[in-house]
Amino acid sequence: MSFLFYFLSAIMIISGLLLVFSKSPINSVIALIVCFIAMGGQYILLNAQFLAVVHIIVYTGAIMVLFLFVIMLLNLNKTTIPQKTSLTRVSAVIAGGLFFLVMIAASRQALEITPRYPFDGHTGLVSAIGKSLFHEFLLPFEISSVLFISAMIGAVMFGKKDPPGYSDPVYRNNNTGTA
Amino acid sequence: MSALIITVVLGIVVLYLGFLNKKAILSPVAVAGLLVVLWFTSGEWNSGAAYFHDMVVFDNFSVAFNISMIILTILIFLFGMDYYRTMEFHVSEHYALMIFALTGAFLMTSFSNFIMLFLGIEILSIPLYILAGGKKYSYRSNEASFKYFMLGSFATTIFLFGIALIYGTTASFYLPEIEQYVAGCNGELHPMLMIGLLFVLIGVAFKIAAAPFHFWSPDVYEGAPTLVTVFMSTVAKTAGIAAFYRLLGMGLLPLPVPLERALWVMTGLTLLVGNMGALRQTSFKRLLAYSSIAHSGFIMLAMLSQHDNSASTLLYYTFVYSLAVIPVFIIFILVKRASNGLEQLSAFNGLFREKPWIAAAFVILMASLAGIPPTSGFLAKFQVFVLSIGQGYLFISLFAIVMAIVGVYYYFMVIREAYTESEFAKPIVLNQLNAALILICTLGVLILGIFYRAIII
Repeated sequence: MSFLFYFLSAIMIISGLLLVFSKSPINSVIALIVCFIAMGGQYILLNAQFLAVVHIIVYTGAIMVLFLFVIMLLNLNKTTIPQKTSLTRVSAVIAGGLFFLVMIAASRQALEITPRYPFDGHTGLVSAIGKSLFHEFLLPFEISSVLFISAMIGAVMFGKKDPPGYSDPVYRNNNTGTA
Repeated sequence: MSALIITVVLGIVVLYLGFLNKKAILSPVAVAGLLVVLWFTSGEWNSGAAYFHDMVVFDNFSVAFNISMIILTILIFLFGMDYYRTMEFHVSEHYALMIFALTGAFLMTSFSNFIMLFLGIEILSIPLYILAGGKKYSYRSNEASFKYFMLGSFATTIFLFGIALIYGTTASFYLPEIEQYVAGCNGELHPMLMIGLLFVLIGVAFKIAAAPFHFWSPDVYEGAPTLVTVFMSTVAKTAGIAAFYRLLGMGLLPLPVPLERALWVMTGLTLLVGNMGALRQTSFKRLLAYSSIAHSGFIMLAMLSQHDNSASTLLYYTFVYSLAVIPVFIIFILVKRASNGLEQLSAFNGLFREKPWIAAAFVILMASLAGIPPTSGFLAKFQVFVLSIGQGYLFISLFAIVMAIVGVYYYFMVIREAYTESEFAKPIVLNQLNAALILICTLGVLILGIFYRAIII
């Protein structure tokens, strides 16, 4: 068990570093996919099967493949990352380093926390999640549909082709313009 | 709860009305629906209840804020009658998205669980990201939408990370339970919990555009269609402030000292950035964006200095502020149309010559934003200072008063432009509905200021 944990963690760290340091965007995306699959393995070790499956389907399966497609279709494989000024870089490094320091300091004591809920074999299984989703968390589950319908409206609004020649009601000289 | 459901249904109804291709009926239907929602919401006064395993609690606090937000949305929709007249497509989507955003705002005033707060913020934000890009062919609007979306998602991730850290230590999303856990710690909070709380507060501070998380606001306010800007600076702001207050009151007070110090610094910075930033602006919408940041600072001052008694002050402040902002933007649209789409302050030139009574109303509204008696803006600021000085926060109160005086300068800068002669003729076209809206809001600002005691007590 603990061997698997260290093995997966090593894969995650190495692929994470590859993601940051690789020059080609395609290699970066593939490294990220490897990282996500290893993370899915970690979830299975924690008995969170549902999370592992969703993670692999949604992140590796959908989002990352979409990334890959965009990069390939737009032919971004050249190193066209705009160079930042040294001031931006230095300040980013300092800010990131400080944040890292704070997070380390905070999580250093995280080991002292004892689990508040006793662990049993059902934790993290699909049936347990389904039960709490349709019992305790019914309202959030239902109300998130409003979120999705808004997002869909947005996609249709931006994606739909308007009739040719149409543009926004910008100001026209007859005092009827809006915007 | 029924108000929430009716609002969602209303949004879908308005969306489907778009198939009829009759723009003129959209706004009346939406307003009628909102009046029904208003009726149901006010029915919940004093009969508050918790729903769905205490996910949401509709107490008097949330009912009062919901009523204020519904009234503001109705005013904005009435303005929409005129605003969307020349827009040919996607008008019903705009109304529907605003109604959905209002649903999110309802959740933000009535949550008692972090999950609901998160969903509320998202349901409010995602329609706003879309609406900010409402002018599809304008680069400024695209930029506003994209910037808002990127920064907003970033704030959301930080907020979510904070919730995860809090859950990691307290094993609960439910705010009263978290409060119990914090109270049991005797001031010795776990660093992870502390960082979680800080992240959650950052997420909410982003929504009310408190410095140093305000960078999105001027660009987004400027680029978004003006009606959306009005919606963001009134309804979204009110919801954010209600959420902030409720978050502090339901679980996080008394705040640990480092966090409280951070919030005080944030308050001072917000006041400074808002007022100083507004001084140099030449674009009217940017100026109002900075003014809105400054008002967030005053509201945070009231919220932090005396939390228990400040709910009514917050409600009064946000409502009165929003009531002044809506007609100011209507007047801005009128003069913008009359001066070939100019968005600079000089667009107001010649307003007094063309429509003297609108110029007079404009002076009253600007004076209310600046906090000049006898307008209600003065009383709102006055109450904030009474609360904070009463608690002994003398230094920051004095700083806030100085900042309020700085604010008077840039509000009167705009008034001066309105009373300057214009170089060319500006036929301002004003229909009756807009005139009535300006009149009602201006009277509201005055009446709420003068007869304050009669209304409240």
